[in-house]
Amino acid sequence: MDTILEVKNLRLYYHTSKGVVKALDNVSFNLKKGETLGLVGESGCGKTTTGVALLRMPSPPGRIEEGSQIVVDGRDIMPLSDKQIRKDVRWEEVAMVFQGAMNCLTPVYTIGKQMMETLQEHRDMDKVQAAELIKEYLNLVGMPPEVMNRYPHELSGGMKQRIVIATALFLKPKIVILDEPTTALDVIVQAQIINLLKKLKKTFDLSFIFITHDLALEAEVCDRICVMYAGKIAELGTNAQIYGKQGPMHPYTEKLLQATPLLKKKVDTLSFIPGAPPDLIDPPKGCRFNPRCHKVMDKCREEEPPLLEIEPGHMVACWRCVK
Amino acid sequence: MSIKDDDVILRVENLKKHFMPHQGLLQSLSGKPKKLIKAVDGVSFSIRRGEIFGLIGESGSGKTTTGKLVMKLIEPTSGKMIFNGEDVTQTDKARTQAYRRQVQMIFQDPYASMNPRFKIRDVLQEPLIIHKIEGDQAKHEEMIIKSLTEVKLNPPVEFMGRYPHMLSGGQRQRVATARTLILNPMMLVADEPVSMIDLSTRAEILHMMKDVQRDLGLTYLYITHDLSTARYFTDRIAVMYLGKIVEMGPANEIIDEPLHPYTKALISAVPEPETGKVDLIKELPISGEIPSPANVPPGCRFHTRCPYAKLECSAEAEPELMDAGNGHYHACRRWKEI
Amino acid sequence: MSLKDTAYRFKEFWNDFKRERSGLVGLGILGFCVLVVLFEPAFLPFKDVNGNWRSISYWEDNPRAAPPVWTNLFAKQKSATTVQYDEATVSEEFVTTERYPGGVKMKVYSFGYDYRYDLSPVDLIVRMTASGNLSADIDVVRPDGQTIYLGSFIESGMKDSPLRFATDTAGRNNVLSFIRERAGEFGINMSNTTGVRPTQLIFSQLEPTMLRSRTPLKGEYTVRVKVPAEIASAPGNEIADVMLVVSGRVSGLLGTDTAKRDLMSGIVAGLKWALLIGLITSVVSVLIGVMYGIISAYLGGFSDTAMSFVWEIFVSIPVLPVLIVMSAIFKPSIWIIIASLIVFSWVGPVKTVRSMALQIKEETYIEAAKALGAGKARIIFKHMAPLLLPYSFANMALAVPGTIVFEASLSLLGLGDPSIITWGQILHDAQSSGATLNGLWWWIVPPGLFIAIMGMTFAFLGFAMDKILHPKLRTR
Repeated sequence: MDTILEVKNLRLYYHTSKGVVKALDNVSFNLKKGETLGLVGESGCGKTTTGVALLRMPSPPGRIEEGSQIVVDGRDIMPLSDKQIRKDVRWEEVAMVFQGAMNCLTPVYTIGKQMMETLQEHRDMDKVQAAELIKEYLNLVGMPPEVMNRYPHELSGGMKQRIVIATALFLKPKIVILDEPTTALDVIVQAQIINLLKKLKKTFDLSFIFITHDLALEAEVCDRICVMYAGKIAELGTNAQIYGKQGPMHPYTEKLLQATPLLKKKVDTLSFIPGAPPDLIDPPKGCRFNPRCHKVMDKCREEEPPLLEIEPGHMVACWRCVK
Repeated sequence: MSIKDDDVILRVENLKKHFMPHQGLLQSLSGKPKKLIKAVDGVSFSIRRGEIFGLIGESGSGKTTTGKLVMKLIEPTSGKMIFNGEDVTQTDKARTQAYRRQVQMIFQDPYASMNPRFKIRDVLQEPLIIHKIEGDQAKHEEMIIKSLTEVKLNPPVEFMGRYPHMLSGGQRQRVATARTLILNPMMLVADEPVSMIDLSTRAEILHMMKDVQRDLGLTYLYITHDLSTARYFTDRIAVMYLGKIVEMGPANEIIDEPLHPYTKALISAVPEPETGKVDLIKELPISGEIPSPANVPPGCRFHTRCPYAKLECSAEAEPELMDAGNGHYHACRRWKEI
Repeated sequence: MSLKDTAYRFKEFWNDFKRERSGLVGLGILGFCVLVVLFEPAFLPFKDVNGNWRSISYWEDNPRAAPPVWTNLFAKQKSATTVQYDEATVSEEFVTTERYPGGVKMKVYSFGYDYRYDLSPVDLIVRMTASGNLSADIDVVRPDGQTIYLGSFIESGMKDSPLRFATDTAGRNNVLSFIRERAGEFGINMSNTTGVRPTQLIFSQLEPTMLRSRTPLKGEYTVRVKVPAEIASAPGNEIADVMLVVSGRVSGLLGTDTAKRDLMSGIVAGLKWALLIGLITSVVSVLIGVMYGIISAYLGGFSDTAMSFVWEIFVSIPVLPVLIVMSAIFKPSIWIIIASLIVFSWVGPVKTVRSMALQIKEETYIEAAKALGAGKARIIFKHMAPLLLPYSFANMALAVPGTIVFEASLSLLGLGDPSIITWGQILHDAQSSGATLNGLWWWIVPPGLFIAIMGMTFAFLGFAMDKILHPKLRTR
């Protein structure tokens, strides 16, 4: 499979008055064509920040540091000017469905008008053409064309999420970043949206980056899983490597998985991870997870473990895995 | 029902809450009759002393409204609530106050449920002041420390001087729990208490709540949309759909052997952390989305989405809850066939 | 809330406030105003202005309708300013006078006055307090050596009686006769003596045309009050507080009005009333309005509708006509005015507060408090009011200018409290005395300007506070 996105040493720092918040510190991964990569972790671990960095739009005072590389379809977008990014990359090649985007539809305009606006901003199109295209996309996300004349408050959460997804796909991007696309939805609607996303991926030959905190959901969607902790990658492996018999290698992933309640199996006690994620201005010495880790060793408190490939396609940043 | 009366702490009988929608001037001029929003449409259940009773449903199912009715935050349209053998549907001020001492609530968003200008000490002292619990400041502080210790916030004295925004989500929910415990209630209504809390610490809060329940002999009404935590946390489950309970029974049984097609659909939709499902399109034995509670379908209210629906489901009267044995109730007339 | 928290919140507020330049300007002016009110006597040229604004005798030493002293800076011909000499130089001299040809020992109270102006003062006034019997001569020694006899006090049986001698009236004939005596020597044309002030003659060179056009005689003048020593030292006789007032052509920092009142004193004394009316009215009415809004929002339903209806009635009443009628019925007093201003200005913040309270009412912690069993009063006062109070602080500051102007308008219409001095009343007096027609701008501009400055001060403060405190309403 071809690589469509390559991220190398991505560093995104927030320069605040209290110090430098290292929101992303040397994050490297790649995304293959037609693949879904999952980003998981607790809140504040850098999942959304990664997504926003890929569009090269960090919120101030955040800054992508020198030396970071984001290669989209063979082109490094870091040296591009803001104008070029707007014209060539953002929404054209990389699109993002933001968390809660469905609640950001303007209540006073019809769905059709809002979609039309997005479309005409980027494409030279008359109204008839645009309306045709909108109907086509509405059909693709399983909505009747009459929805064009409806207002957002007349639609359910699931319907609005479909509209947002359709809008993100308008410009035929190659990569779609989905930030918690189903968090506010009920399970049945969530399953419907997940099914829709899988269908759309095939139809458009898309590559997804799927951001969520829900490891169970990730298992159903993602080919590969990237577990992040405190702005760094803790573990990156295939679906089978993380969820399969052998289980994850990083204690953080292990604990996260054990903390996920299972429906089909009654467990007596769920695990949890004590404490809270560290302050990124002054992260703990050594492995950033060491104060909360149940398998901590002396070395973990001293030296930061490197992200090493311990079996083909499986990268782990844990001293326990270094032989 | 088969449960003995002295075992029951709260019995809810055919409880209804219908809202009158707000109408604009034009609408009222057009003369169209108002459509009632039937948020809760005839709910009956009994909660046993010392059990954790789960109320499960999607948004719009009426589970939160049921919780508010139980808390007496809103008045029911009709129906009855019997708490501890006493009819509490209509109560005067003094008895409402007494009821509120015994039934407390934990809210979904632990931050929003505390006044941001109150310190933890003030948050916890509020119920003592409201219910005019005797004692001076020192006595109150003692009680506050005791309840903070119960929810394992150590050292309690250190937390008392902080503001809610200085605590993590889990700590805030502990404070919210401590606030309910300080009055020694008999029952807690917990509305999605962990849905805003990070997965990694969710279990910690659930453990704490369970410990407190065991130690103090509390009864919980646990309201959630999350079947997985419900199975883990509750003894019995009632599944609500569009204002009515469609299935009710022991938690394990409901999840492992669901009888109602809606419960089946819900269970099939829940993702599980297992490998090998990436390329599969999940089969969902349900279609469309939940109808508006202003337009409850006639007959069985689930028939519009049910894959097994036949003519009789829409034509005949709505099925009531039926016992399928060992306390497993359901409201599907075709349960044996499917 | 403990003191420490309040201090902490205040510090936080102050850090934000420091960045608001206009707010700092407002605070600076307000601070100065408070200082002026606290140390009012230090700023008052006439210390007893407060009880005497409408007394005629208190102001009689002042020139009438005199412009401020600083107008001299822009005038070609410099006018004499008003000066008061409280301390006389006392000496004993042996003199021969007409009344005592054999010579007599005199006690002399003398005042040196350095005249450096082009236009003479309007009056020379000698005051003293005396008991028993007294005879005293008053004269003035000019730089050219001439001595002009101005007049005498001859009184008996006094007991701490105030005595006053005004050259302009009482000394007129003596001064004219002095000129007449010298008319021959200096060739003075005595054809027309009407329309000339005695002081004009005292401070001019002796020359033929001096009754019509004069050259000022600059230099050191000495005004003397001479009392025969035996009278001065006789038992039962007593002379005290001998003083001289040179009533200038320009007077005080802000001039005088046609009733001879010193306007600077009036403005300074009016400041405290402006602050009092502004602050009391705005604080009380905003508090009422905020509580009304919160209660209306919290109760909801019929009570809300009814309260909104009452509110609408109050908003739609034309305030000024009603206040005029009220002031006409009640004896206008400052407290009645404040009360009636409150009655009509509490409506200001209601609607905004109500809408904000409606939002807060839906917060989960309000529901949580209800679930705990909290009553209406507790939710309103403990949970809702503290969140909306910061907003009301800004509102209070913004309401001050309106009330100050309103009081001024009432006073301007003649409906003010006559026992106090307000800027509005000064304006009212100016208007009724035709100050505009007579070009007495110093009577109109300062009170108007100070009303505007006071309004601006609170507006600055209010805007700055609004900017800082409003975003804090977002509770998360």
